[in-house]
Amino acid sequence: MVILSILILNKAGGLIYQRDFNEGLKKLSSNDYLVLAGTFHGVHAITSRISPVPGSGGLEVLESDQFRMQCFQTLTGTKFLVFAEPHQPNIDVVCRRVYELYADYVMKNPFYQIEMPIRCESFDRHLMAYIKPKQ
Amino acid sequence: MTFYFAIIGTKDNPIYETEFGTSKQGGDGHARFPDEQRPMNQFILHSALDIVEEVQWVQKELYLKTVDRFNNLLVSCFLTAGNIKFLLLHDSKAEDPIRQFFADVHEAYVKTLMNPFYEVDMRITSTVFDSKVRAAAKKYL
Amino acid sequence: MSSTKAARIGEEVWKTRIDKVNAELVTLTYGSIVAQLCKDYEGDYMEVNKQLDKMGYNIGLRLIEDFLAKTNTGRCINFRDTAETISKIGFKVFLNITPTVTNWATDNKQFSLVFEENPLADFVELPDDGRAQNELWYSNILCGVLRGALEMVQMQVDAHFTSDVLRGNETTEMRVSLIRIIDDELPPGDD
Repeated sequence: MVILSILILNKAGGLIYQRDFNEGLKKLSSNDYLVLAGTFHGVHAITSRISPVPGSGGLEVLESDQFRMQCFQTLTGTKFLVFAEPHQPNIDVVCRRVYELYADYVMKNPFYQIEMPIRCESFDRHLMAYIKPKQ
Repeated sequence: MTFYFAIIGTKDNPIYETEFGTSKQGGDGHARFPDEQRPMNQFILHSALDIVEEVQWVQKELYLKTVDRFNNLLVSCFLTAGNIKFLLLHDSKAEDPIRQFFADVHEAYVKTLMNPFYEVDMRITSTVFDSKVRAAAKKYL
Repeated sequence: MSSTKAARIGEEVWKTRIDKVNAELVTLTYGSIVAQLCKDYEGDYMEVNKQLDKMGYNIGLRLIEDFLAKTNTGRCINFRDTAETISKIGFKVFLNITPTVTNWATDNKQFSLVFEENPLADFVELPDDGRAQNELWYSNILCGVLRGALEMVQMQVDAHFTSDVLRGNETTEMRVSLIRIIDDELPPGDD
């Protein structure tokens, strides 16, 4: 299971966390990441409106030759974007686990301001420990 | 057989006191101290405190049994881990029932301590505690 | 979600996925918070109630994520569903109690939670100064928790206690009313 990178967006579509897990990836500037996050938030909203199936959610999976992107949206409006190798199964499990780690190490930190960028060292550590052994 | 029971705090301040008579062997549970003696009860118990403080470092156990006597009255003492003294003034020498009585009162006292609004050395005014002490007295003494 | 299904989920999550802590530690910690607030506000029990509610609100904002992550529940279809989820899964997972849901209003927008046991209030007796019995809601933090948690899932509610055994009433009852569904931003789609 190869996870390439993870992004977390807050309710308003702002980027609050971004981490690459693969050294081979090209680094974007931090501004580019913010633009990427905002674009995705907009696309997600549009896709939920134009969907032919009534009552459906927004964009969930985007797959190309080079990567597979999965979006997990919580009932509170937070979006978790997981980028992995193409044809990767079981990304749902990864999404769920990242959500659990987020609920534990970010939300339970009383000094973390909700909707602000995540600067929790323990969240970074546990996330690395979870993702890295799988590479 | 009558009893006078008091709880003394860490600063030698009384936290709780009550008197009752035995409910066994035909007693009706009412205290029968002669009137002249009533005010003396407090003094007798407080003077026993000196002896308690001496004995407590010698004895390993928390139940100090009978520590003092005054005329025909005996003073028994139970010490809690927080140095709170349960003192009983009595005229009979029944050790075991008294020990069980102290155990019940101790349990009620611990529950009082669990109340976040109660601070150590505060007077105990709770009617719940009072009824528990009386029930224990009725049961054992 | 039916009531029995919710109860089953709550029981299962409680048994398998929750770390446990000594209940008396929670009781004593919460008790010292309330006692200290009462001292700090010098007997202004209305202010203490407000502070407890605020603390609960902050807890609720964060607790909801933990709840959703551990229990994987989907969106509730209506307010009745929400009530069942709160009582059978929410309270079960965090306090190991299941308050009863009763007294539904005719428009289905208000209900009561009746607490048979309240671990926060074990061994507590309200102070005897004559006012605490009439003004202090000891477990008011729970109202704030519900308010904060439901706000994060787009429901604005009002929660307040209507009776409390610590005050001498027969039951401990909390009234929860739905004020409105928050539709300001794009709501997450139904899964």
